Amino acid sequence: MNPDLDLSLQRLIRAPRSTVWSAWTDAARLAQWFLPSPTIARVDRLEVRPGGALVTSMSDDGTVFVPHMDACFLVVEPGERLVFTNALDSTWRPTDPAPVPMTAEITFGEHPEGTQYGVLVRHGDPSARARHAELGFTEGWGGVTAQLARLVETIAGE
Amino acid sequence: MVNESGALDGVFAALTDPTRRAVVRRLGEGPCSVSDLARQFTISLPSFMKHVHTLETHGLIRTVKSGRVRTCHLDRRRFALVEDWLAEQHRVWAGRTDRLEDFVTRSDSESPTPPLEDLR
Repeated sequence: MNPDLDLSLQRLIRAPRSTVWSAWTDAARLAQWFLPSPTIARVDRLEVRPGGALVTSMSDDGTVFVPHMDACFLVVEPGERLVFTNALDSTWRPTDPAPVPMTAEITFGEHPEGTQYGVLVRHGDPSARARHAELGFTEGWGGVTAQLARLVETIAGE
Repeated sequence: MVNESGALDGVFAALTDPTRRAVVRRLGEGPCSVSDLARQFTISLPSFMKHVHTLETHGLIRTVKSGRVRTCHLDRRRFALVEDWLAEQHRVWAGRTDRLEDFVTRSDSESPTPPLEDLR
């Protein structure tokens, strides 16, 4: 986890871990929540194993579907953890996906009241053409982000 | 969208340099003349001017010349663009988690799912 570059969410979901896990790994269930209504999600390939495909399409009218995500799983620990990336497509070909290449790690933790659900999205180079290897980029991200926050707060206060 | 993406590329590229980030940080406190800014950095004026030019090219700062003094201002609209981009990435995942929660808490009572052992 690089707090300067990654996004993370933690949520207590009041449902059993097995239920939350199956909502992710059963294609029919995944399709029901993966995209915001009224957009309709279609799960084209869901191979829940390392190297397996995660391919989804989306539609606004239920007739014409366009590609949504073409990714592959990196890590699958049943009931515990799913890691997938769209930086490799479902055929393991390196890609430059829109809007951004990322690696998403979904964790399903035990909690007395349900599931401790975690999302960690790792970003590498937020701009494909920015030379992210340039000195100080990662180091600077936190400062820049904090700076942005201050600026935006200032704008909001004006 | 292409234009916005290009603008973001430029913003991120411009911010890869520590000197340019320091200039942004300083200008966050208020406008400053180029010569006053340059004094705060231990690099030559021509090198410093290149950084100013890069920041201006990518829209992070604006410079206004009055007489012999060139003053730099932060252009906050560009930063808002980056903030929007980051917020959008976060929003997608937060929304998805909301929907997942709705789905599993709703379907929980209707269709019980097998215990984890059966899934392995």
